[in-house]
Order: sequence, then C-alpha cells, then structure tokens
Amino acid sequence: MRLFCLVFVVVGTVVGLSANNVSAETPEYGGDLNIGTVNVTLSPLSWDPADWTWKSNHDAGGQREQLFAGDLDKSVRKGGIYPFISDAYLPTESIRGELAESWVWEGDLTLVISLRRNAMFTDRPGVMKARLLEAQDVVFSYDLVDQSPKRIPTYFDHIKKVYARDKHTVVFEFSEFNAEWMYRFGYGYYSSISPRELGNVDRKDWRNTSGTGPFILEKYVQANAHIYRRNDNYWDKETIDGQQYPIPFVNKVIYRIIKDEATYLTALRTGQLDILEAMRWIAVDHLKETTPELKWNRWLATQGTFMALRVDQKPFDDIRVRRALNLAINQKEIAELFYGGYAELMAYPQHPGFGEYFEPLEEMPQEVQELFTYNPEKARALLKDAGVPEGFTFDVQVCSCSPSNMDMIPLLESYLQKVGISIKIKPMEYASFLSAMTTKTHGPGYLLNSGHVNPITTLRKSFVTGQTWNPSQYSSEHYDEQIRLVHLERDEKKRIVMLRELTRLILAEAPYIWLPTAYNHTAWWPWVKNYGGELRVGAVRPGPIYGRIWIDEKLKAELGFD
Amino acid sequence: MSETALPLLPQRRPFVFFHQRLFREKPLGAIGGVVFVVFLFCGIFADVLAPFGMNETDMLRRLQSPSWAHWFGTDHIGRDVLSRILYGAQLSVIVGFMAAGLATVISIVLGVVCGYFGGAIDMAIQRFVDAWMTFPDLVLLIVVISIVGPGVPQIVIILGCLYGIAGSRIIRGSVIGIRENMYTHAAQSIGASTPHILTFHILPNVMPVVIVLFTTRVGAVILAEAGLSFLGLGIPPPSPTWGSMLSGTGRTYMYLGPWLALAPGLCLTVVVYAINIYGDALRDLLDPRMRGR
Amino acid sequence: MQAFIIRRILALIPTLIFTSVIVFASIRMIPGDVIDLMLAQNDISTGNDRAVIEASLGLDKPIYVQYFVWVGNILQGDLGRSLWQNTPVTEQLAATLPITFELGFLALIVALSVAIPIGIYSAMAQDTAGDYLARSFSLLMLAVPSFWLGTLVMVFPSVWWRWAPPLQYTPFLEDPLGNLGHMMVPSILLGLSLSAVTMRMTRTMMLEVLRQDYIRTARAKGLSENIVVMRHALRNCLIPVVTLIGLQAPLLIGGAVILEQIFVVPGMGLLLLEAVFQRDYPVVTGVFLVVGIAILLINLFVDLTYGFLDPKVRH
Repeated sequence: MRLFCLVFVVVGTVVGLSANNVSAETPEYGGDLNIGTVNVTLSPLSWDPADWTWKSNHDAGGQREQLFAGDLDKSVRKGGIYPFISDAYLPTESIRGELAESWVWEGDLTLVISLRRNAMFTDRPGVMKARLLEAQDVVFSYDLVDQSPKRIPTYFDHIKKVYARDKHTVVFEFSEFNAEWMYRFGYGYYSSISPRELGNVDRKDWRNTSGTGPFILEKYVQANAHIYRRNDNYWDKETIDGQQYPIPFVNKVIYRIIKDEATYLTALRTGQLDILEAMRWIAVDHLKETTPELKWNRWLATQGTFMALRVDQKPFDDIRVRRALNLAINQKEIAELFYGGYAELMAYPQHPGFGEYFEPLEEMPQEVQELFTYNPEKARALLKDAGVPEGFTFDVQVCSCSPSNMDMIPLLESYLQKVGISIKIKPMEYASFLSAMTTKTHGPGYLLNSGHVNPITTLRKSFVTGQTWNPSQYSSEHYDEQIRLVHLERDEKKRIVMLRELTRLILAEAPYIWLPTAYNHTAWWPWVKNYGGELRVGAVRPGPIYGRIWIDEKLKAELGFD
Repeated sequence: MSETALPLLPQRRPFVFFHQRLFREKPLGAIGGVVFVVFLFCGIFADVLAPFGMNETDMLRRLQSPSWAHWFGTDHIGRDVLSRILYGAQLSVIVGFMAAGLATVISIVLGVVCGYFGGAIDMAIQRFVDAWMTFPDLVLLIVVISIVGPGVPQIVIILGCLYGIAGSRIIRGSVIGIRENMYTHAAQSIGASTPHILTFHILPNVMPVVIVLFTTRVGAVILAEAGLSFLGLGIPPPSPTWGSMLSGTGRTYMYLGPWLALAPGLCLTVVVYAINIYGDALRDLLDPRMRGR
Repeated sequence: MQAFIIRRILALIPTLIFTSVIVFASIRMIPGDVIDLMLAQNDISTGNDRAVIEASLGLDKPIYVQYFVWVGNILQGDLGRSLWQNTPVTEQLAATLPITFELGFLALIVALSVAIPIGIYSAMAQDTAGDYLARSFSLLMLAVPSFWLGTLVMVFPSVWWRWAPPLQYTPFLEDPLGNLGHMMVPSILLGLSLSAVTMRMTRTMMLEVLRQDYIRTARAKGLSENIVVMRHALRNCLIPVVTLIGLQAPLLIGGAVILEQIFVVPGMGLLLLEAVFQRDYPVVTGVFLVVGIAILLINLFVDLTYGFLDPKVRH
C-alpha cells in the first residue's frame, strides 16, 4: 500500500519527464527567467517576516533561506522519488539542512544546530554590508516572529528558549516535543533567516529585504513584477552529471504578476513567460495543440474544495442531513465531466502526496465510501427522516476570487434542487468572504478551498474547536484531544495510525460536502533546463528551484524567441 | 393655444403617424426599434419561449456545439445556451431600462433646475455633482456593492444614480444654451411663467439630447453590469445576464466552446446597437426644427 | 472672469471635504476590516493581540479622530502609509499616476482623432450611406464590451501568429518603444470606446447648430460651407463635447481598471482596486483625494472653456 501510494504520486504528478537531463549538457550562465508562479495573480502582501503572512517565502523569492529545505538531488527529475509539489509538506527523508549544516539532539528536549560556515548575507545599501551568517541571526529571526503581535498564539509553545552557543551553533530548548518541530521553525512558513540588522530598519520596505539566498530583490513594481538579480557570492553549488557548478545560473528571475487568466496563458504561449506554474485543465488541450513545444507536469492541487456546513445551526447539526447532502451531489460526475477527468474523487483532508498518511478511498470503511456515491433517493429519505421540509433554502457564500468555484456552484445548486433543497448563492470578494468566516457570520453553506499544508495541520486547522479555518464550527472533545496527542507522539508510525483514524472519523462525520480535488498543470518552454516542474522545497518556497535553472539561449533562438 | 408653443406632434393619432414617419424616413432606426421590441418581448415571455430551464444542468450534454436540439449549444455544465440567453434578456434589458430610466429622470431634474435657474442653486447643486463625479465609476460601484451585496435592485439604483448625476451636466450644458436663444427670451418678455417656459420651451428643446442620453444609458448599464461581472460583482449566479455569460464562462471556455461567448456577445452588441440606432432616429424625428420642412 | 475662477477654486474646498468624509467612512463600511484580513493570513487568529495591531496602525482611535489626524497630515503633505507595506501613499501615487495619465492621454488622442472628424462628417452628410456607416462604426465601438474586445485582440494573434503585445510595463524614459508597445493596444481600445459617445454628441450638436439662425445668416451672406462650419458651428457645438471630455476623465481612471487588468498596466485603477480589496484605507483615501482634485480641476477647466466657446454664456 505504501508502495502504491508513492507510485501513485510519481505517476500522477510527473508527466513528460525531461529527456534532456539524461544526456550530457553543460549548463550556461546568463539570461532572464520570467515566471508566472503558482500565485501569479497575487501581489505580495508584506515583506516583513514579522507580519506572519503565509506568502512570505514565495515573495522572498530565494533571497531568504531557512534552516531546512527539500533536497532537490532527490527529486524525480534526478532519479529520486520526490516531486516537491506539496505546498508545505516535506517527507522526512527528502529534507536536507540548508543553513543548518548538521543537527543533533542532546537529550530529549535540546536540539543543537550547527550552521554553515560559508553562508553570506549580501550587501544591502542602508541595511548592512556583506558578512557571514552567525548564530545570533538565527536567534534574531526566531525572536522576530515569536514576539510579533501578529503571531499565531500557540505556534511556538513547544520552544522554551533559543540562544547562540557560539558563532556557529544555535540551541533550541524545547518545553515539550512537537512532531511538527522541523516544519514550524525549519522549513515552514515563518522560518526564514534574516540578518539582525533588520531590527534597525523599516522591514516593510522591499528595498530592505535581506538574506543569504541565491537571489536579491532588485526591484518591485506594484501589480506588475518583482525582479530578482543573482547573488554572485551564493554559497551553494549544483551538481549536474557529476560536475559541480556555482549557482545561480540565470542573471535575473522575474516574477510576473498577471491577474487575468487569458492574459497569462497568452504570455506563456508567446514566450513572454518561460514557466507557468499553475493552470486549470480547460486550456491545456488547446495549448498542447497550438504550442506543442511546451513541456508539461500534471499535479494534484494542494488544496481541497468543499462546501462547509454550519454544524452549529439547524438542520446541519443533524448528521443525517449532512450525509444526505453528500449523497445528493454527484462527485463522480464533477470529477469526470466538470473537471474533464482531471480530478481525484477524494484527496482531502489528506493528500496522496503525503505518502503513508493518505488512505485511498477504496480502502476506507463503507460509511466513508458511501459519501462519494450518488444516491438522490437515499438523500431524500434521510432528509425526510431528519424532518427537513421540501423546498428548504439556505445561503451559500462563494468567493468571486475563485473562477472555478464560481463555475461549479450553479451545478451544485442544480444537484441539490433534485432532492428538494434550494440554495441562495452569495458571491463575495476575497476580503469580505474571508472576514465572514473569521467573524463567524458566514454560512450556513460556505464554498471554500483550503490548503492541505501537512498531514497534521490539515486535520488541526479545519476541525479543531475554534480554529479560524474551521468554517463548519465542528467541535468534538475527543477529536481535539487526539490532535493534541498526535503532536506529542515521537514515533512517526504511530502518528500515521492515529491520523488515519482521525481522517476516517471526520470524513464520516461529513461536516462538509466533500468535493473532488482538481489537477493543475505546469508548463514550461524547453529552453528552461535543469527543471522538471518542481514547485516548492519548503512552505510555499520555490527559491532554491529557480537557483538551479539555466536557460539554453541557443535553443530559445532556434525556436524563434530572442 | 399660444403661438410660441410649438406642438410636437399633430393632434390626431399621433402615435401611428409618428411611426409611419419612422418607417418611411428612417428605415435603419425602424429596424433598430423592431429588433429592440423583439428582444423585450423575448425577455418578458422567456418562461414560455425557452425550451429548457434557466439552470437545467445535464453534465452528459455539456459543451455541445450548436445543433437542432440546442440552437446555441450547451455550456460547461450542460445548460441550454438559448434558454439562458432568453432569460438573460429578461435581466439585461429590463435592468438596463430601469436603471436608464431612473438616470434620465435624475439627469433632467438636476440639469434643468441648474441650467435654467443658475445662481446659488446652480452653484450648490453643482458642488454636489462635482463631489459625486470625483469618484471613478467602477470603484464607486465596487465599494457600494461590497457594502450592500450584489443583486438586481442594488445595481439598478446605484447605476441609475451614477449615470443620472453625471448626465445632468450634459443636460445642464444644453439648457444653458437654450436659455439664451431667441424663443426663450421672447417668451420671458411676454411674461410667460417659469413652469410654462420650462415645459414648453426648455423641455421640448432638450428632448433630443435626453433621448440620445437615455438610449446610450441603456446600453451603458448593460455594459456596466458586464464589467461588474468581470470583476466578480455582477448579479450572482445562476442568473444568466449576458454580461456574466460573456465575461465568465465565455472567456474561460473560449477554447472549448466559442459559441459560449458568441451568443451573449452578439446579443449584447445587437441590442445595444439597435436601441442606439432607434434613439438616433427618434431624436431626428422629434427635433422641433426638423418638422414642417 | 478672474473673480469667477477664484470663486470656483474656493468652491472646491467644501466639495473636497464632503468627498473625503464620504470616502473615509465608506471604505470602512465594507464588511471585513483590514485587521481581520491580516489575522486571517495565519492558521489561527483567536486570541491574537488584535488590539496591539490596531494600535500600531492607528486604527484603535475613534473614526473622527483618525479623520482629523489624516487631514492634519495631508496639510503637511503626508498622505499616510500603506497598512500592509508601509510604503508612503505619495510614493505609490507617484509611481502609478504617470502611467494612468499616459494611458488616458493616449486614449483621449485616439478618441478625439476618431470621433470629431467622423462626427462632423456624419452631421454634414446626414442620412447618406456615409453617415450610416460612420454611425454604425461608432455604435459598434459602444456596444462591444471593452474586456471582450481586449481579450480577442490579445488572444487571437497569440494563437495564430504567436504574437502578443508586451505584457510588462517599462517606464517611458527607460525604453520609449517598449513603453509605447505595451500601452498601444489598451489605449487604442480605451480610446475607441470613448470615441463612440463623443462622436454621437458631436454629430448631434453639429446638426442642432447647423440649423441655428446665425448659421443661416452666415450662409445667406455667401460664406463658403467650410468657413461656416469651422468658425460658427464648431465653436458652439463643442460645448457639450468639451463637457463630455470632462465627464470621461474619471472614466479614464476608473473605467480603465478592466483594461489595466487585462493588459497588465499598473495604473491607478489597479492600485485602487487592490487597495479596496485589501482594505488598505490610507491608499484608498489618498488616491481618491488626488483623483478628486484632478477631476475637479478638469471640470473647472471645462467650465472655463464654456465661457471661451460661447460668448452668450460668459458670466
């Protein structure tokens, strides 16, 4: 089963393996890389790590580094087994030390990290002169996020103290073990390492961003692009065909910000984008036809789609009603027809990319499998049992920022009509939509996409009592307690068992109408070399990937693009 | 009957006579009028005319190109596009009419009052109009609709106010010009009362401008709703406004089904075009100085 | 005349105050305030130090206090700072205003060069085939939504010829050709859609004016058609046309949002849209203020032009 899942992941996500990487090709230096990232439509929200924005690693673009990151030498492209697609999860064996050269546990609760000796912070006018990374910088970076008024309250509760033993050694003293330690301050969202000089400048100014990474933020034009130039003194090297090369190869990396779908597809088609990391299935066939040179990677979206139901409101407090609504929706039709076959019936809350944590639908108990079948008669019977009248109507909010959900919701309305339920569709723009949830004025129905993150967080953030991203208001003492215990469990095998159990439980409870998860596609031009569609080597962190890409200018010219 | 008041139309059977003139002298405008009436008719009787329901999905029938079964094809979730176009006529045209009507009334009231009376009233109201017009249309719409939520009444009222207040300046400009012409001076000099002058001199002479304004406003309202749909603030699904059909599924699925954009796009274009041509013809015929040539 | 100008400029002040109060209040009325949005960037936000964040952004004070602080700052030339990125609003405006101005200016040139000749021709050749053709063209520009035309113009050449206009902004001074190449398509589209209304107004007014008595008099005096048109007709019929241009100024800022989004033009429309969606209050109020002043000045100019164009109207 374990093997099946990994094979599944490999086959399901990697299509079009680059044949060029097998032959001997010498990388070239130079050129500009134009990328439409996974977040091509979004502008950066903040440059300040203390603002606790989830997009921070993406926006920092390879300027800031972290203690741990995914090891790209183990990527599928290089003959390994890791596709590096997950938005915030790295299997333990795929992790390498980035700024941490080595680490040991001294006793149960003390982690000692030895930092790299050759990592350098770049020159930044008005902030600092170039110098080597020191342990004090790691302490500063930790304090910066830990003491911010915007911090998540319990996030670093497991850490008692962080201090520098000497110039190159950082010590983390834990108050209790936490299974997510490597993620929370390691490769996660809020773990970037900044120089301590940032304590004295305006961190919100993009000109003051600083780090040890392969790129430096040169310019930011709002709603248009961020432009990074190469760090000539970057410490890391890339091995290609047994030969070591200093990196990065390209001169500039440009993140293009393009809000309109038709526009970024056009930019890709005309070579103005070298890579487009995420597109919907709809344009794929046409693009393959009109632009056959493009290389492709297909990957299962790292977010689940569902309609949350307010279990604290009648009649959704009755599990029969919730299960009935699931039976009323034809998820199979949605996966095969609405998504054109580019979808998986069940891939949430756990993601197939999580390896053993994921249990396929066929192995789930009957009560879970049933929810993914289409049975309007049984749905009607259940609703009748629960005393829900014909023509019962409820509001459903949907974010107008998600074209796919906006396209799907009339279909859901139609399915529900067939069992005598009506919904009133209420589109809202992003901020209003989000705030409805955070102020708990949303619902009773709420059509949402929510990131998987990692195997524990996906179950915590969506179903533990009182969490912001728990739109159904699901609350169970047993469930909360189990989640707490999972965090304390050191044995990964035991954690897997516990999480699988919890996943089955929550699926059967049906606080959501579970919906299929779509596949996205990444496309890139063949002159982009040493790249196989990898997306992240940390929480929404693509920097090291871009640092290893080189551009074949000759091939580009041959294809008619200068 | 006062000599200075020029009757607009002959006294007997004016409506029929007028439309005879329309067909005879302005054939293009007549066609425009006919087209517009047809769409209005389709909109009002959509429930009867539409072969399928407005939100009747059938995934097995999705993305079919036009055929005898579905004249305009089917969309991404199997709904008949022709039926949705007909229901969309109901919405798009009627919303357009109501909002343009409201806008025209507001424009006339403000424009005539300001243009004719001038002075302090003009100053005060123009300051208000100025303040109103410093808001870029679309962003004002975004802010207001974010507050009150999208829906037909909200969009009608806000678009009506928006275009009404802005359009009052054009009416005002026209009234200022008319105020100074010979007929008005003549009427004032014989002691005609203000309401009399407004009704029989100012208003009739402003009518051509008003008519053109009304017709452009209907088109503008339909297009504004389309723009709002593009930004995600239009009338909520599954309402089939032509604007949302064009900006949403039309654009998304243009590679898989060009008819999804062609149908609402053509209808939108044809209706806006028709009503404007009709308005032009009306203006030409109603202009007092063009009669009795 | 001078007194008129001074009076009008003074009259701007209450208008501006009125506008600023409305904008200040209304942006805060949209459901979902900025703190909610900031906190929702995390996994959890219950128990967060909401009060601390509010205080650091100056949002904890009552709204009228915030308003007066804002006004006080404006009088010192400080429009505030973005709540998210702490960038001074003046800096953001300095970056986006020239871009919007350039787009609007180019669009206006396109609009006028298309609209006025066609409008005049149409009026003088009333009811001929040429008139119908000209009117049909302008109505077509009116009837097709700009986002649709924009999409077609961008997508089809890319599919047929693998060509698209540059989709990234470069400042004019850095690369004039690149800049114009980028701005060309959106400004033509914007200009064409503006030209429709202007052309129809020109035609309407020309027709009205051509029949006025003083035109007949001029004709009777034996003046050639062109002189009649140029000197007398054009001058008077330009009044509503100039009004219309004044009217379209806000359209150039607000109405360009859609084209800005499609053609990736980082102008004030997009800045405003993003700021509204992110509830970045200082940016919204700052932009509205500057836009407001600009539009009020344009309207003032329009009113003065009335006086110049029509002697009977001069105060």
